[in-house]
Amino acid sequence: MSLAMTSSSALRIQIEHALERRFPSALTPVPRTIRETATTGIAAVDALLDGGLPVGAISEVVGQKSSGRTSLALSFLAHRTLEGQVAAWVDAGDAFDPESAAANGVSLRQLLWVRCRSASAAAKSRPWTRLDQAIRSTDLLLQAGGFAAIVLDIGDTAPEHASRIPLATWFRFRQAADRARCCLVVLGERAYAQSSAALVVECVPRQGMTAGETVLTGFSFEVRRERQRQLSNVQGIRKPPASMWSATCRWAQEERA
Amino acid sequence: MSEQLYLCVHAAEFPAQALLRLRPEMQSQPVAVLEGRAPLEAICALNRHAERRGVVCGMTRLEAEAIAGLRLLPRSTESEAAARAVVRECAAYYSPRIEAASYGTACSYVLDIAGTGRLFGPPERLAERLRAALATAGFRVSIAVSANFHTARLKAANSRGVTVIPEGEEAAQLGKLPLAALALAPDQAETFAVWGIRTLGELAALPETDLITRLGQHASMWRALARGEQAHTFQPIEPEFALEEFCEFETPVEEMESLLFVGARMIDCLVARAASRALSLASLTLQMKLAEGRTHSGTIRPALASADRKFLLKLLQLEFAAHPPQAAVHSFNLSAEAGQSSTVQLGLFTPQTPEPSRLDVTIARLKAITGEDRVGSPVLEDSNRPGSFRMGQFVVSTNASTAKTDGPQMALRRMRPPVPVSVVMQGDRPRKFRDAERSFEITAAYGPWRTSGCWWSTDGWDADEWDVLATTRQETSIACLLMLDHTRNAWQLVAFYD
Repeated sequence: MSLAMTSSSALRIQIEHALERRFPSALTPVPRTIRETATTGIAAVDALLDGGLPVGAISEVVGQKSSGRTSLALSFLAHRTLEGQVAAWVDAGDAFDPESAAANGVSLRQLLWVRCRSASAAAKSRPWTRLDQAIRSTDLLLQAGGFAAIVLDIGDTAPEHASRIPLATWFRFRQAADRARCCLVVLGERAYAQSSAALVVECVPRQGMTAGETVLTGFSFEVRRERQRQLSNVQGIRKPPASMWSATCRWAQEERA
Repeated sequence: MSEQLYLCVHAAEFPAQALLRLRPEMQSQPVAVLEGRAPLEAICALNRHAERRGVVCGMTRLEAEAIAGLRLLPRSTESEAAARAVVRECAAYYSPRIEAASYGTACSYVLDIAGTGRLFGPPERLAERLRAALATAGFRVSIAVSANFHTARLKAANSRGVTVIPEGEEAAQLGKLPLAALALAPDQAETFAVWGIRTLGELAALPETDLITRLGQHASMWRALARGEQAHTFQPIEPEFALEEFCEFETPVEEMESLLFVGARMIDCLVARAASRALSLASLTLQMKLAEGRTHSGTIRPALASADRKFLLKLLQLEFAAHPPQAAVHSFNLSAEAGQSSTVQLGLFTPQTPEPSRLDVTIARLKAITGEDRVGSPVLEDSNRPGSFRMGQFVVSTNASTAKTDGPQMALRRMRPPVPVSVVMQGDRPRKFRDAERSFEITAAYGPWRTSGCWWSTDGWDADEWDVLATTRQETSIACLLMLDHTRNAWQLVAFYD
């Protein structure tokens, strides 16, 4: 046994030595590091994700309409801008609501909003679809660097269209996000980035909260961790993969104040 | 030893030089400049290549067109004015006291350089540096330095390269110049020709009293000029610092590459002129005269004043991509506003932000992709109208946000424009609604929340809003915002809660 191990390690060293010029340390696994995380501002979600969304990686927040994914993304951006950092929202469907963002605490001055437009509304010289514009814009922002968070909102894009984004594009985004130390958050109906995503969380709507059956005061949601590439060593083995959280309406906050 | 020292910079054939300096591709071709009204146009300036082909000033268009390969350009006073400003700007770097001494089609400036030796070294070095600076700006000039104003002026106009005349040798240096250097009237020149006087040296040798007796008091001045003794009271101009470049095209230009080629040269000149005063360019304003009498204008305003040529050229290229001229371009004017060179002090603990100059290019590219008004920071309007905002300019600010977060709140996803829906009512509450694709069963409806405003104007609103929980036939539940627009009596799906 010992002889076999010795010969295999010797063989590995030989191969690595032969390939050294082209592929340094070809057969030695890259040491894993604990990735930095950024808080989402929601304690239950942070607990589920070991501190928040990973910095310098792609995080996908998926779910159907009214599943709380936008509220989760806005809460995350609010905490990033609270630290004095700048963020960008690439809006493929032109669905971003600045009032909701301000109500969640996002500093609008530190937010760059890119509103994609439909091909018919654009000039003839710009025949790109909304999705294509969003991909190009995200690419430019990642290359520019300096943005602490970029939200690529393709939540209103049909999955059959968004699934056609080439994996090479996601791989490029992953590399660029890693270089720029940027959290790239993808809002969508499904997960599209596959192996390029460091984290996939699924949002599921639970129920609406009312006051006296006359006023809608909020919603409760469930968040499920579908995929997390790098788990920290201190994580418990039987930690539940889902967590509940709730978002209130603005008028409910005002009433409480 | 005299304390006076003058330097004269002389650009001959200035109409041709002004036109060719922004067109390097034409500098190796024979080019002549025409002035006057058709069909009586005549050549007023030419370059060396044209001179070698036998072209002379005063030729008519017909005569010039008979010379093969000769390119003819119309004279442009705007180009000459812009070029004069560039020459003046270069000269002003070496002395604040400048007097204009131009005559005919030449451009001449005389600089008072007395006392500049400790700054720029001996006059020869100063003259070489000035000549090199003007060559970089696209001008071929001759320079003369003398303790006498007129000696410097006459020598510069009638020699090539750099000439430094030591004090006391003015007469000897001017002696070989032709009498035509004095720009005499034709009858006076004829008189001297009859006498056999052809050079300034021969004029200087004539007895002063006899000369005045025959030709009057003017002759005394000519003799003093020829001897390098004519006194002069220096009258400095006060040049206005204006960063402007102008180019008039021989034929209307349609290709963006050609415009960018000229634009790059203009930016180079503007940056060099601003840099000579330790300034940068804060904004660029472009104005174009187009075919059919139309005009095109635009402004490029980077976040920080910059002297980076490549960066400014990229912004110009993106401006052309976003707002291309709607017709062929006749002339191109580029003016700049000077600003202080910006230095950014980074801190160890300050958050990482986008680099301002790079961000400018990125935003310009984003605008080229999505549209001019589709990129920026949202600014909430001071209005009760639901969903009102405007797009503001995105400026990087490292100040920490003062906004408070009271926990997550329900966010809306707006439908722009709102989707018209048909609603089935049960009593006074909505029970079902249907858009173009799906129908929804309403499980709970909260409202109506009445809102109205601006009833005194045409853009007023009056609507009932309903917070609605609904399910589709596929058991998918949604929460959305329905609105009954009273002004049009129509239901709309305004937003989804998400």
